[in-house]
Amino acid sequence: MRDAFSSYHPTVNLAYFAGIILLSMLLLHPYFLVFSFLGGLAYFLRLRGRGALRFCFLFLLPLMAAAAVLNPLFNHAGVTILAYLPDGNPVTLESICYGAAAAGMFGAVLLWFACCGDVMTSDKWIYLFGRIFPAQSLLLSMALRFIPRYQMQAGVISRSQACLGRGATGKGILRKARGGLRILSILTTWALENAIETADSMKARGYGLPGRTSFSLFRFDGRDRIVFFILMGLAAAAFWGLAAGAAGIRFFPSIHLPETTPSVVAIRILYPVLCFLPLILDAAEELQWTYIRSRL
Amino acid sequence: MQMQPSGPDRKSRRTVAATITAVLAPATVLAGVFLLGDRKYYFVSLLMVLYALILFGLAFERRRPQARELVIAAVLTALSVAGRSAFFMLPQFKPVAAIVIIAGVCMGGETGFLVGALTGFISGFLFGQGPWTPWQMLCFGGIGLLAGALVRQGILRRDRLSLCIYGGLSTFLLYGGVMDLASVLMTFPRLTWQALLASYAAGLWFNLVHALSTVFFLFVLSKPMIEKLDRIKVKYGLMEP
Amino acid sequence: MDVYQIKALSFTYPLASRRALFLPELCLGKGEFTVLCGRSGCGKTTLLRHLKPALTPHGESAGEILFFGKPLAELGLREQASRIGFVQQNPDNQIVTDKVWHELAFGLESLGTDSETLRLRVAETAGFFGIQGWFRESVSRLSGGQKQLLSLASVMAMQPEVLILDEPTGQLDPVAAGEFLDMVQRINRELGITVLLSEQRLEAVFPMADRVLVMDEGEIIADGSPREAGTRLEAMEHPMRYALPSPMQIYAGIKNNLPCPVTVREGRQWLDRLEIRPQVPASAGREKPDTLQKPDPPAIELREVWFRYEKPLPDVLRGLTMKIPGGVLYCIAGGNGSGKTTALSVMAGLLRPYRGQVCLGGEVLSGKAAGHGGMRLSMLPQSPQTLFVKSTVRADLLEMLEGGAISPGEREDRLRAVSELTEIAGLLSRHPFDLSGGEQQRAALAKVLLAEPQILLMDEPTKGMDGDFKLRLASILKELTGRGVTVVMVSHDIEFCARYADLCCLFFDGGMVSEGAPGSFFSGNSVYTTAANRMARHVFPEAVTAEDVIKRANAALGSR
Repeated sequence: MRDAFSSYHPTVNLAYFAGIILLSMLLLHPYFLVFSFLGGLAYFLRLRGRGALRFCFLFLLPLMAAAAVLNPLFNHAGVTILAYLPDGNPVTLESICYGAAAAGMFGAVLLWFACCGDVMTSDKWIYLFGRIFPAQSLLLSMALRFIPRYQMQAGVISRSQACLGRGATGKGILRKARGGLRILSILTTWALENAIETADSMKARGYGLPGRTSFSLFRFDGRDRIVFFILMGLAAAAFWGLAAGAAGIRFFPSIHLPETTPSVVAIRILYPVLCFLPLILDAAEELQWTYIRSRL
Repeated sequence: MQMQPSGPDRKSRRTVAATITAVLAPATVLAGVFLLGDRKYYFVSLLMVLYALILFGLAFERRRPQARELVIAAVLTALSVAGRSAFFMLPQFKPVAAIVIIAGVCMGGETGFLVGALTGFISGFLFGQGPWTPWQMLCFGGIGLLAGALVRQGILRRDRLSLCIYGGLSTFLLYGGVMDLASVLMTFPRLTWQALLASYAAGLWFNLVHALSTVFFLFVLSKPMIEKLDRIKVKYGLMEP
Repeated sequence: MDVYQIKALSFTYPLASRRALFLPELCLGKGEFTVLCGRSGCGKTTLLRHLKPALTPHGESAGEILFFGKPLAELGLREQASRIGFVQQNPDNQIVTDKVWHELAFGLESLGTDSETLRLRVAETAGFFGIQGWFRESVSRLSGGQKQLLSLASVMAMQPEVLILDEPTGQLDPVAAGEFLDMVQRINRELGITVLLSEQRLEAVFPMADRVLVMDEGEIIADGSPREAGTRLEAMEHPMRYALPSPMQIYAGIKNNLPCPVTVREGRQWLDRLEIRPQVPASAGREKPDTLQKPDPPAIELREVWFRYEKPLPDVLRGLTMKIPGGVLYCIAGGNGSGKTTALSVMAGLLRPYRGQVCLGGEVLSGKAAGHGGMRLSMLPQSPQTLFVKSTVRADLLEMLEGGAISPGEREDRLRAVSELTEIAGLLSRHPFDLSGGEQQRAALAKVLLAEPQILLMDEPTKGMDGDFKLRLASILKELTGRGVTVVMVSHDIEFCARYADLCCLFFDGGMVSEGAPGSFFSGNSVYTTAANRMARHVFPEAVTAEDVIKRANAALGSR
């Protein structure tokens, strides 16, 4: 089932992901890291279901482990020396901590990017680009139209060539590669020659006239406005905390955590809400439906 | 009625470009230096990459590309993405860089950049978006842009050998170099030469395969592809490169 | 006021010696439904493209075209984009964006229409064309007919005053073509929009047309109502008369003073008024053609073949059993999705059935695709463009002969022989993509024939082709079957099958439902048969082609 947040206006989607990804990159304090990571993981699981686990174990964990191990090996800053490497460089507590934080940050950012890739479908990008990059957003739409067409045509060409005994089938890598290149070559000619008709069709429908508008099915309605203001407020608070040093952490030369002041506490309460916003919206919608159904 | 200037759009594009160069870029550097501490290198560089992509995009829009130009760029982009998924079983063995270079050589650096950047972006939809997407867009785009610029300057010739040399070097140094640099910036608090070296050593095999595959594809594809593109340009009276 | 007024228009392509277009005078009235017909290469497309300046080809032109009384050349880009709608032949090439709704809005976006108006226009258009069901779909998921309908809708969204269509149904099957043409007629009738349509399927469009223009070598040779144009063509004994609707052809072959029929219904009434006594079929019941009783093994035999593309998908072939004797032209007819093309691929060994056997020349086809059970087999795919690799036709043909132990002299001989057979000797130095559709099809056939196949499989070879090409193809195929080559073709083209096939069969739902020589085969069907048969079956049940009907009717009238 499609989640609730995906159905919001693309502007809301993009603003959210831009904000959360930037904050995940910048907030290296363990408290915030944990929430960035968990929020990303939970939303990713919601979006992909069981398929998400494969991504986590085969892709995410190894990369996080690498970041955690490599940091102390190659970064020797910090004052608390724990041991010396065979090449004589020190291993410091600070760099181990930074490595752990970097691994967490890495994981969170990758998860949020993956969510962003699922939610921000191509038509949302085309819509968002449409106003400021009209030609390039059209180009994107055209390329997306051509790709499945070319993949299908490659199959047709491959079968035609097989009729002549020259397909990509057969044994040996060399024969396969030669067949593949032959198909690519035929596909290129076909694509370029047929594209001229596409250009004619664009011209026939007035492409190139000044003052082109861009149409979309998306509408920024009341629901989008409310969520947009909420997320802007939350993100602003987090950035303010970051700028004021309340949410930050310093690793080098020695680890320094900010003091606990009322504003720090406030931000610590608000940031998790931002991280779990998509899931909160989803749950709210679910509740609403249960309520409607119970009244029937 | 006919030549109605598209006032607001053009003006707003110019404003955006000016804002980025005059305000946003310096502000980002300052904010990075004063506010961000340990994350400044990655953060500032990532934003700079995004600014560069936006500025390039604005410059392209300003030219108001014609329908045929746009269609050819879309065809080349789709071919390179489709080519990339055709060879999905062999990691790093892809015709993308080769097609981007050919696009730059035949259709000019701007189209080359566009084809490269768009291929990087669309690949993200098929193979997963990540923090590497903007860097990938910049690298592929840069390879195409440079190819076009060098041909225009007369430094790079359109024959098979020079294209293969350029292709190998640019994929290895430009693409491999910048992508590895990006991963170092992402992982480490600051740039140290040991970390960079280690990352290059780890990525050596990947980058080598990538460079060799580009050389291979250019060796096989460059001549017929350039002929085909030239034929289309002649047949339909397209612009000179 | 006339929509278009053309005065002394002439046009010559660059480097061409002959004029491609010469029109002393031509007017198109408001609200008219005009059909433009003619053999391919007669200048139809050139004329249509002259009526929309954005698409006018480069070349040397003279004369004047007025659009609503004003010179067309003075019409602004914006106006010509919105007021003159143009639909081309290939549905795939015309669609620009990846989503249906975006394609509908494309033209209006170009015109700079504001969001409110755009939303309304898109909604109206989608409603008129019945697109709501697939409004948010990706274009790649649409059928060919839906794509062409979308192209038409996206032009109509701009509310043009004239609609110009250049062979819009060339790539569609008969059912989709019928739906499309019905939609064009609705646009003309219900919205009053002037329509100018070029078309090969005259049977379908003549009843709709107010006016027919026939072109030949760049000039209009007949102009008038469908009846008048038809009579004129018959009087001139022009080759285009074979493309006329069957009732008109039959009418012309029989001496009478009644008005000319255009549709099958009118044809039946006309035959009744001639008062010909119904003929009882010579032999009741359906005889098996003697070709099937040949003792030697059939060239192709399928025994209870079952096939599906993926395990969870439904079966495409369901226990298909068929025998195709050697040296005949065998036509497979049937609707979309009946498994025709799949059956062809199974015969070619491109697809492997999960149950059942395929035998070629009596030998069971095994997994080795290279040796086709002792018989050489080639297949001509539906799109000839997928076969061309080189930049000239000649190089492309020679490429087929590479690898084998053939001397250069023999290569030239075989090249010459095949190019004479397929009549492409004059095209050898051209780029394959610069050829017309029919020429491409013949060049592709030449390439396939260089493998010297004993069995030739063809997928829709007459799709989008004119009568001239069909005549040539028929004579090439006759030559081949005369040499003992077995030709199997899949086709929607009933008229072609009826006229030239030795054997026909009908596919439905993954199996063969009937088979026979054209005479008995088509007279046994009551709907899936030729127009001539539908028109005359109550009088001459076994007459399948127009000539059959004319012959029998003249004999019956003469004996009276």
